[in-house]
Amino acid sequence: MATTYLTLTNEVLRELNEVQLTSANFASAVGIQAFVKESINKSLNDIANEEPQLPFFATATSGDTDPFYGNVNVSTVAGTRWYLLKAGSSSITTDYAAIDWDNFYLTTIGVSGEAAPFVSKGLRFITLTDWTRYIRDSENADDADTQNYGEPKYVIRSPDNRKFGISPIPDKVYKVYFYAFASPTELAAHGDVIILPDQYASVITARTRYYVHQFKENLQQSAFALDDYKKGMKRMKSNLINPQPKNMTDDRVYF
Amino acid sequence: MAASQPFSVALQGGLDKSSNTMELLTRPGVATRLSNFEISTRGGYRRINGYTQLGDGTRPNTSNEILGMTVYADGVIASSGTNIYFSQDGDSWLQINKASVAGGGDNFSTFSGRSASARTSQGKAHFATFEGNTTYGEVIITDEGSGVKPFYFKMTGTGDALSSRTFFAKEITVSGTHFPKFCVIHDKHLVVAGAATALNTIFYSGTSDIDDFTSTGSGSIVLDDQVVGLKSFRNELFVFCRNSIYKLQNINDSSTIAIVPVTKNVGCVDGKTIQEFAGDLLFLAPDGFRTIAGTARIGDVELGTVSKMIQPIVNGIFDNIVDYEFSSVVLRDKSQYRMYYSGSAESTLNSKGITGTLTARGFEWTEVRGIQAPAIASGFNFAGKEKVYHGDRNGYIYNHDTGSSFNPEGVLTSILAEYQSPDYDYGDFGTLKTLDHVKVSLRPEGATDPTLRVRFDFDTTDRIQPPDVSLETNDPAIFGSSIFAATVKFGAAESPLIRQAIQGSGHSNFFKIFSEDTNAPYTINGLYINYRPSGRQ
Repeated sequence: MATTYLTLTNEVLRELNEVQLTSANFASAVGIQAFVKESINKSLNDIANEEPQLPFFATATSGDTDPFYGNVNVSTVAGTRWYLLKAGSSSITTDYAAIDWDNFYLTTIGVSGEAAPFVSKGLRFITLTDWTRYIRDSENADDADTQNYGEPKYVIRSPDNRKFGISPIPDKVYKVYFYAFASPTELAAHGDVIILPDQYASVITARTRYYVHQFKENLQQSAFALDDYKKGMKRMKSNLINPQPKNMTDDRVYF
Repeated sequence: MAASQPFSVALQGGLDKSSNTMELLTRPGVATRLSNFEISTRGGYRRINGYTQLGDGTRPNTSNEILGMTVYADGVIASSGTNIYFSQDGDSWLQINKASVAGGGDNFSTFSGRSASARTSQGKAHFATFEGNTTYGEVIITDEGSGVKPFYFKMTGTGDALSSRTFFAKEITVSGTHFPKFCVIHDKHLVVAGAATALNTIFYSGTSDIDDFTSTGSGSIVLDDQVVGLKSFRNELFVFCRNSIYKLQNINDSSTIAIVPVTKNVGCVDGKTIQEFAGDLLFLAPDGFRTIAGTARIGDVELGTVSKMIQPIVNGIFDNIVDYEFSSVVLRDKSQYRMYYSGSAESTLNSKGITGTLTARGFEWTEVRGIQAPAIASGFNFAGKEKVYHGDRNGYIYNHDTGSSFNPEGVLTSILAEYQSPDYDYGDFGTLKTLDHVKVSLRPEGATDPTLRVRFDFDTTDRIQPPDVSLETNDPAIFGSSIFAATVKFGAAESPLIRQAIQGSGHSNFFKIFSEDTNAPYTINGLYINYRPSGRQ
């Protein structure tokens, strides 16, 4: 059973020997109970800040459009370089929290009017520095003159982190697939369920205890809680981000 | 985690309604609420006993209010309606206000058949017993209706059956048409006073001749003030007036007999509140309960009051004094004074009382609720056993201070008892304290199940307060006379220390222990609290 906001709050309150909340008084909590509630959301944000690409922050299930890689896609427009990472997002506060810039993929498969042979390839990330130094001027000149454009090869990140650009400027409609990760949704109602698997709920409570013990000026317990949190994060990242077999490849050639 | 700290409190001091919250921080043993508890003779606060119907609950005079009572012979005398009754067991009542009783006494059947000597307009009754050299003594009954003469009753004969006894009864003429309200036996005299026709006159009978106000040694004295009560104390008779107190000295010496003022500024609110208690006279004065010794020694100053701790309650009584009827009694085995007060239309549930217990620390007070006792009496019966009875406005008479439940009109009723401590700051009001557990030292007298409530920071709504918890105890091991049956338990603690985990934190907190049941009484001896300082905030 997924851990609810109420369960998590009471777990911390029990550890602190404080009065537990009920579904009836959860919304009107005051004092230490309200502080624990706030600290849980703060802890969730801390986890997201420390490792925003944990799988449970993924904005959608990967491979929804089989067989493509990525959980978000954006259709390009001929002659347009920059695209919002999150379509319809009004500001950075509603944008995705993190993007996997190493995994942008370009294809014409699924684009209306396209037929085989399709374009289907990864887009290589280049820095803005490289792009502005070597590519931007010629592409801008083309855009202002002949407007030949081309088949994109690179993906770039806008300085405000809200858009991605593709280079060359696309000559037609493509679909760009990539991985996006959202910010954790703030827990509010007592029945709200945490997005972490239950086995990692202790990472949240450890971080919460870190804050609450500071609140109670119990620095020793706070330090212990911080240590618990760090160990929990380490294990969680190890389990969820790098679970594949470890192997090494030696491509040296022996003569 | 911060090291836990201990804090222990021995409950003593009784109810304190006069200290403010900050003053109370330094007096953890007192109670801010102490209702239906009494100060235990063994220390701590004990839930009071209940009361049971006398006998089978037969009323002496249907639903007429019990106007006064006294323990007499092997039973009780009660005034009700326009009559006076005697009963040995509460099952049957013998009307004793009879007329034309033979001077040498009547046997039972003759006495029963006599016509009534109606106690016209009978009000609150006052009793005086002259032990003399008769079997049970002679009883004089006056009443505040002041509509009839004092009544004299005597019973002789030692057999258990009333039919084997001889009865004497008559009215006593004091002076013309003066019908005194108050009576007392003092140094071989019957002293009466307060007649509606002579409010400020005391009359005293002849020496060793209590039914004759014309014989040698008799007389009368006119005072400045209206008499509200009389009390014989040591070799003096104290005359309580509305605004003054006098003492009558040398009643047996006509050349030196004198009325000496004790105070001209302090009177007595109601004569029914006067009791001889702990070697002194205790009464309700307009500024609180006073002792005669304190009043006489210190003069008229307020220092004579012994009830400063419950002054707000006393003030509340004075605010409604015209509505209240008073009665009082002394429970000698508990060194306890009890005063009951309620309006004439007050329900039993809302009727109130105050108990004052004399301890090594002075008077300690508690409140009583749920006992309607416009008439109450205690005394030693013929067998030398202390008996306490009270009567209510519906004419029922009860065995007072017994059992584990109230039984108004025979209906089993729970006793709502509440003890509430002051807020404890554990020595530092600025430090947040997280409570670990409390150990409550109880002395149960049977299976009990009081409830513990903890409230932080003066029960502020800014904190979520913890839920109530039960302090259930099993039957304790009590040794004495007992019948060993299947339910007897051995090995139980007499005063178990009940450990109860507590949730919550605050800068201060109070504990409330309460029960509303018909379980056995229990005494709360003290509290041991384990807490952890959690920073200064």
